[in-house]
Amino acid sequence: MWIVAAFLTAIPAGAGTAVADPAKVICRIEAEREAYSAGDPQNTVLKITLDAPSAPAHVSRPPVNVSLVLDRSGSMNGTKLEQAKAAAIEALSRLGKNDVFSLVVYDDNAHTIIPAQHPEDVNHIAGIIRQIRTGGSTALFNGVSLGAAEIRKNIEKDFVHRILLLSDGIANVGPSQPEDLGRLGAALLKEKISVSTMGVGMDYNEDLMTRLSQKSDGNTYFVESGNDLPRIFASELGDVLNVVARQVRLHITLQGDVEPVTIIGREGRINGRKIELSMNQLYGAQQKYALVEVKLPKSLPGSKMKIAEAEVHYENPFNKTREIAQGISYASFTSDKALVEKSANLGVVREYELNLKALAQEKAIRLSDEGKPLEAAQELKESAVKLEALGNKYQDKDLLKEAEETAKQAEQMEEKGMTTKDRKVLRTQSFQMKNQQKSE
Amino acid sequence: MFWALFLVPTLIMAGAAAKLLFHEQERINRSALTALTQRAESIAESIHLTVETVKDNLIRSLEGIRPEKPDQILPDWAENNPLVRNVFIFKDNLVYPVQGPASTTEERRFITRYDALFSGRVPFKAILEEKGTGLKQADLHPASEYETRNISRKQLLTLSRSAPEVRAPAESKSEALMPDQQFGPESGWLPWFFENQLHILIWVKASSSGPVYGLELELMTLMSRLVAGFPAMTDNNASLVLMDGSSQHFHRFGTMNLPGKAKPAAQIAVSPLLPHWQMAAFMDPKGMGPGNGFLILSLILVGIFIVAIFSGGLLLTRMTLRNIRDAEQKTSFVSSVSHELKTPLTSIRMYAELLLSGRIRDGAKKETYLSVIMTESERLTRLINNVLDFGRLEQGKKTYRITGFDLDTVLYQIIDAHKIRIKEKGLDIIITGIREGGCRIHSDRDALEQVILNLMDNVLKYADKGRFIKFILGKEPDGTFLFKICDDGPGIPESHKEMIFEKFYRIDNSLTAARPGSGLGLSIARKIMRDLKGDLYYEPMENTGACFTARIKDHETR
Repeated sequence: MWIVAAFLTAIPAGAGTAVADPAKVICRIEAEREAYSAGDPQNTVLKITLDAPSAPAHVSRPPVNVSLVLDRSGSMNGTKLEQAKAAAIEALSRLGKNDVFSLVVYDDNAHTIIPAQHPEDVNHIAGIIRQIRTGGSTALFNGVSLGAAEIRKNIEKDFVHRILLLSDGIANVGPSQPEDLGRLGAALLKEKISVSTMGVGMDYNEDLMTRLSQKSDGNTYFVESGNDLPRIFASELGDVLNVVARQVRLHITLQGDVEPVTIIGREGRINGRKIELSMNQLYGAQQKYALVEVKLPKSLPGSKMKIAEAEVHYENPFNKTREIAQGISYASFTSDKALVEKSANLGVVREYELNLKALAQEKAIRLSDEGKPLEAAQELKESAVKLEALGNKYQDKDLLKEAEETAKQAEQMEEKGMTTKDRKVLRTQSFQMKNQQKSE
Repeated sequence: MFWALFLVPTLIMAGAAAKLLFHEQERINRSALTALTQRAESIAESIHLTVETVKDNLIRSLEGIRPEKPDQILPDWAENNPLVRNVFIFKDNLVYPVQGPASTTEERRFITRYDALFSGRVPFKAILEEKGTGLKQADLHPASEYETRNISRKQLLTLSRSAPEVRAPAESKSEALMPDQQFGPESGWLPWFFENQLHILIWVKASSSGPVYGLELELMTLMSRLVAGFPAMTDNNASLVLMDGSSQHFHRFGTMNLPGKAKPAAQIAVSPLLPHWQMAAFMDPKGMGPGNGFLILSLILVGIFIVAIFSGGLLLTRMTLRNIRDAEQKTSFVSSVSHELKTPLTSIRMYAELLLSGRIRDGAKKETYLSVIMTESERLTRLINNVLDFGRLEQGKKTYRITGFDLDTVLYQIIDAHKIRIKEKGLDIIITGIREGGCRIHSDRDALEQVILNLMDNVLKYADKGRFIKFILGKEPDGTFLFKICDDGPGIPESHKEMIFEKFYRIDNSLTAARPGSGLGLSIARKIMRDLKGDLYYEPMENTGACFTARIKDHETR
């Protein structure tokens, strides 16, 4: 039997250099399967993976410019605020002398308590943090604006800019629509400022918080209890201190008669056969990917074709140069069904399904918001069934685990409808999935 | 009447003070509102100035783009400038962004939002003429204190003029305008309401045949930058709120708690460039700024002042009334004492003259006359003793001499001595409760005699129409003697039963009183009894009549 070996590997541009220089981002394109059944046009999913290198040990990391925006509205009183303060002080102690730290608190109004400065006198700053007391309502927009103003003091310098926003309530002073805050996030991203949001407790607006992070390419966290705050701060700071690529732009050029269908889970542009995506930043040893659905043209058995080329442009924050990495993907066509089945790329299939699950979760939230909890549960259930079927087919533990979790969520929702906690969990999970946020 | 003398002026003063205070409070509130409004105006003006300048800069930047190049420059600009939300190029049709997968979700929504404009239903209307007024007004106040130190604003302005100027060489502008010198570039600032939200489109048409291109302003960036640069306001009972067209609060100055239905005290339009946006001033209806404290403090002070005046007046009135009463009583006392002294003296003198004239030969008659003189002089002595005693008692100079004696003996002696007087009044003498020999007591005999005499005189004076006079002597278990003198006379009205013990007090205090008296007897008796650690008090009889009880303490030293 004439078998065309599936040829679908990551071929970084100048593979030799890439291997020799581990500090570079590696770009890989994988298709759903390596061999396709020849014949009519068919849709397939491409996964473009960016493997960020670990931060080099011998080069000092780029300094960070962090503004902590802390909710001190009345509802934060007690453990929440105490833990947030403790976490902030802990985070502060992890910053270096070249970093910049500022602290904004907000209730009815926002106040800059610690203007942007190098954390030289940590004890003094910690003293100020300890004195924070709770106040009135929640002027979130104002808080973020002031945080951004503090960041901007050092915007020209070569920092990783980050606002850490912590809130436990509904923004009730100033703009409070998720849409509006999303716009603010998008505007901040243009200045290379990302906002990571931490929603504490059950009363914050998860739509607003996730939208703000998503549009500004920050992380989002659902902090169920104040006791989790130190851990989450540490994880977030770990990311911020570990940026290895910035202003990441991904260009995918489809080859031959391959046509783009849609981009899954991310924002981007499809311009003819060119697909453009941007990801802002990559953290050390992180893997980020984009999923694109394309349509393969009519094919003959035994033929082989180049499906797509990907090019990633990014700025290396260590030496401040712009770098490029490339990847190419090929597909072969065969009439051997078994081979087609066998050549499935589990990595792609899994991520594709998980992204579909994230979309299903969002749909479930929307349905539940519209007062259709049963339909919402049904949506999740269907997603769980699909995940389970695939999991069984490929004997994949991750998929089966996801299927089980999703089924459980669906079951609970059927019983009691969507609780505020469910909604927050779903919203956060779907966001983290779509953005490949590292687990907390 | 005395009350009215100080009550009325005090009340008038209090009323006037309160009225003045409230008036003052109102004035303070008014001036606070004026200050607040001025502040709102200055903020509104600063917002207007900023937006105006942002607008001018953006339009200038847009005009600086070579007409054949907007499609190269604009998308880049949108991607990098936070002030730019979307960009567009329009020539008969929308050239950029393109409907479909080549545009982002944001761009697709932008197209939907401005559908009326891009489909030609609404024309691009130049608003150049409106530019004038706003700028003029702004130019009058070139830089307020807030303006000069506002970094955010400066950054905003830098932002608004940054991108295309860098990308488009300076000479390109004139070059761009060359082909069509007559056509002044048209531009516009287009406030656009969609789904109840304000969006701003800025457009430029560089030449009559060229495309219309421009950008949608990101109001969130504008507001975020403005908000960060706003001055802080620390008032607790006033608030300024920047509101958009649908009364959504954009930013709040001040920490006053605003209930949902709070009504603004004043509203000012922010800028003609941001239609329907307002600065609203809220004030706590209960009071403003230092005014509230002022009112409370002043009211407390006025209250203290009025209470002081009132109580002072009350005290003075009471003292005056007391003095008047005392004076009256003294006058009446002097008159009664004079009268009392005169009566026995007249009798004595009359009988003495009769005897001296020698016309009375009858020995028995002489004896009678002499005894009258004797009785009357005894009465005179008692009266003078009382007056003297009163003086001494009042000054606390009376001294007591404690001796041992039998109380019943003393009582019998007094009754014996005055038997005739009692019989003359037609009263029966009843003596009860006296046990033979059990009445040994240590006390001041003379003082006790005087008390008993005074009490007996009272009975003879006021109860002479009665049938009896009753003496009761008893002993308490603790050794105190109880001595009562009772009668069945008219008794003493309930309202007078304590006052009868006051000095100079007489129930009927007029000169023409049917019965003579100094009003000292009971007062002296009680004083003596209390000095001797006992007491004297009045009890009414069951039907009619009076009963005085003296508690006599035994001073025996054991």
